[in-house]
Amino acid sequence: MRIAMIILYLVLAPLLGGLLDGLDRRISARMQRRVGPPVLQPFYDVQKLFAKQRIVVTNSQTFLMITYLVLMVFTGCMFYSGADMLMCFFVLSTAGIFLYFAAVVTDSPYSYIGGQRELFQEMCCEPAVLLTGVGFYLLEDTFETAKIVQADRSAIVALPGFFAAFLFILTIKMRKSPFDESTSHHPHQELVKGVTTELGASNLALFQITEWYENILMLSVIALFIINKSPWSIPAAILVVLAAYFLEILIDNTSARMKSGKMLELSWAVTIAAAGVNLLILILVR
Amino acid sequence: MEEREKKRSVVPFGPQHPVLPEPIHLDLVLEDEKVVDVIPSIGFIHRGLEDLVKKRDFNEYVYVAERTCGICSFGHGLGYVEAVEKCMNVEVPIRAKYLRTIWSEMARIHSHLLWAGLMADAFGFENLFYQCWRLREKNLDLVEMTTGGRLIYSVNKVGGVLKDITPDMQKVILNNLSELEAELRDVYKTFMTDYSVQERTRGVGVLTKEQVHDLGCCGPYARASGVARDIRQLGYEAYGELDFEPVVSNDGDNYARCDVRLREVFQSIDLIRQAIAKIPNGELSVPVKGNPDGEAFIRIEQPRGEAIYYVEGNGTKFLNRFRLRTPTFANIPGMCETMKGCSYADIPLLVVTIDPCISCTER
Amino acid sequence: MSAKFTPKETIRVIEKDGLLREVMAMKSRGMRLSQACASYKDGKYELSYSFSDDKTLDYETLRVVCDLADRIPSIHDFYSCASFYENEMRELFGVKIELIEPDYHNKLYRIKAETPFLPEDAKAEQKKQEQEISLSGADSDLDLAQAAADEKLASGKKEEK
Repeated sequence: MRIAMIILYLVLAPLLGGLLDGLDRRISARMQRRVGPPVLQPFYDVQKLFAKQRIVVTNSQTFLMITYLVLMVFTGCMFYSGADMLMCFFVLSTAGIFLYFAAVVTDSPYSYIGGQRELFQEMCCEPAVLLTGVGFYLLEDTFETAKIVQADRSAIVALPGFFAAFLFILTIKMRKSPFDESTSHHPHQELVKGVTTELGASNLALFQITEWYENILMLSVIALFIINKSPWSIPAAILVVLAAYFLEILIDNTSARMKSGKMLELSWAVTIAAAGVNLLILILVR
Repeated sequence: MEEREKKRSVVPFGPQHPVLPEPIHLDLVLEDEKVVDVIPSIGFIHRGLEDLVKKRDFNEYVYVAERTCGICSFGHGLGYVEAVEKCMNVEVPIRAKYLRTIWSEMARIHSHLLWAGLMADAFGFENLFYQCWRLREKNLDLVEMTTGGRLIYSVNKVGGVLKDITPDMQKVILNNLSELEAELRDVYKTFMTDYSVQERTRGVGVLTKEQVHDLGCCGPYARASGVARDIRQLGYEAYGELDFEPVVSNDGDNYARCDVRLREVFQSIDLIRQAIAKIPNGELSVPVKGNPDGEAFIRIEQPRGEAIYYVEGNGTKFLNRFRLRTPTFANIPGMCETMKGCSYADIPLLVVTIDPCISCTER
Repeated sequence: MSAKFTPKETIRVIEKDGLLREVMAMKSRGMRLSQACASYKDGKYELSYSFSDDKTLDYETLRVVCDLADRIPSIHDFYSCASFYENEMRELFGVKIELIEPDYHNKLYRIKAETPFLPEDAKAEQKKQEQEISLSGADSDLDLAQAAADEKLASGKKEEK
């Protein structure tokens, strides 16, 4: 069962991630009254990036990008094999560090500042991510995802604050406006493309694929809030995940880019207000 | 002190940078993400157009003047012909004056909407950018209908204009402008009330009234700091017969500049309506005899601010000197002043906020 | 009907030695430097410094007519924004403007040609006049000041390295 889940994740995550990315571009375009690219465009892009000649600034960059991808995939596999959720989150942070290294080994100031902002973003997300783990533990007495999905009722009923906090930092994790600080999806930013400025050809393709894996993993955490032992919870979870993704696109299209200081302020405020209060209530109820 | 020096890094910004519509180079001295000093340099696209006036017939040169820049093209043509007309004491027919006024205002609507889009893009609001440029397209359609061109109007000549705006066209203009105005209200509301937009514009890049004066800034950039100066009040062309007041805001920050420019679009729409209501029948141009002699300074309120045209004739069909001082040239010192002490993330906004047009600045 | 202006527009020819004094007077009257430009006419430079009054929209131009080799002081002490105009005049016309701050050293516009707006015969004339002046030793104090400024800049650059 566990092996099957891992294989499914390995194969389906990039496909679904790319497809969602394509839909995202399409829906964004419609919100901006454009036609937009074909839904499969992200796949064409990645295919083309792989076909390009690989020119790198430093060779270590390729190694760092591959490590970034492998660690990200590893995190996802752990998550789907039903392992310790806290462990997943720590490995996830480690993966982020490798992206930071890949950005700062180059001489480009844009990439360098982008790397610093990437770390800053990690710092903004971390409390909410860790608190989510804690919330699940308090509720189910376990960090293991395999046991959490066997619960009697959906976690969201008891953890609405954690859900809200996680939804908020999802924008940062997906690098969408207003929090597309370290890199933005279109290069009209003061940092050009931030961390990805110096990535090209296959390295950029690796980044793209890693992002799909990461997005699916993040959406899976959202799903974890919904899924319980009833099979009906699975379609419900899919609906919630799609709604969350749509919400991200909507926010992306209705806001300007915030500055990093404001991002820290907002993300921590929301995390403490929503997840913190929820945590206190949970502890009192226990 | 030594320790602090080490932390500084110099980030080159431009001349090729995705957020810059045109090439300007800034060396930004950063401490972390705070800008402590900025050294501007231009000069990548100098074409020596002013010198070309010695080799082109003064009538032909109108087309060169128009091609100084893509956005303020009409204004440059207008400024040049006005200066030559002043030299030669040519009185332009009243209908031509009204037509020039209408096209000037169309150019202003075009320029300000383009700027609004670039501004939205600079603070990372992609959707707003597309909305602004979509509205701009409506205005471009009107320009295309009346002049045949979209950016280079090419309707000015010494002594009048080359094309007419017929009553049918006037109806279409009024109709389309009403549509544009209605949609622009939503865009204006977003610029003024959206939380994330205000987060990026309020209190950023503040220039006081005194600073604006000392640094010689002009146009909407100066009006956003409370300087109620609009060269259109000189009453050149038909402006003397139209009713308007300069659009002024007092905060002097990016928010105020958005406010001033967008309100000016509404003002322009109103001016076009007034002009169409008042436009008399008559000739489009008068014949011009002889060659320009003497000199003349002309000031014109371009969309980006006060532009100055200086023409010096010598009695032949070639002018001795044509001088064009563009608003961007005057606003660059102000821009550099606002950048000191700002955060790196604000740089694109502060560049865009003067509505830079480097192409016509360097000529 | 909104308020309209009927401003005075004047061009006043002044001596080159009186330039700084006149500019200072403009500054104290609260005028704004609107533009400055050079032009070459009949073997002489015509420098125009235009000032504008923001309240009445009056437009006053100070005109300095000078020889090709005459040294002109920079007015950036009074109007900091003047340096762009002065750099431009020097680069395009070769007007000898001294001690501009910041000084772009004829590289405001990145062009190869030297003083492209000045006709060829005028360039030769300018060289001739300059030699005469250097022989007679006039304006030596300004020369010294410029040399000192250049040296300071050069040493500053060394320190940076």
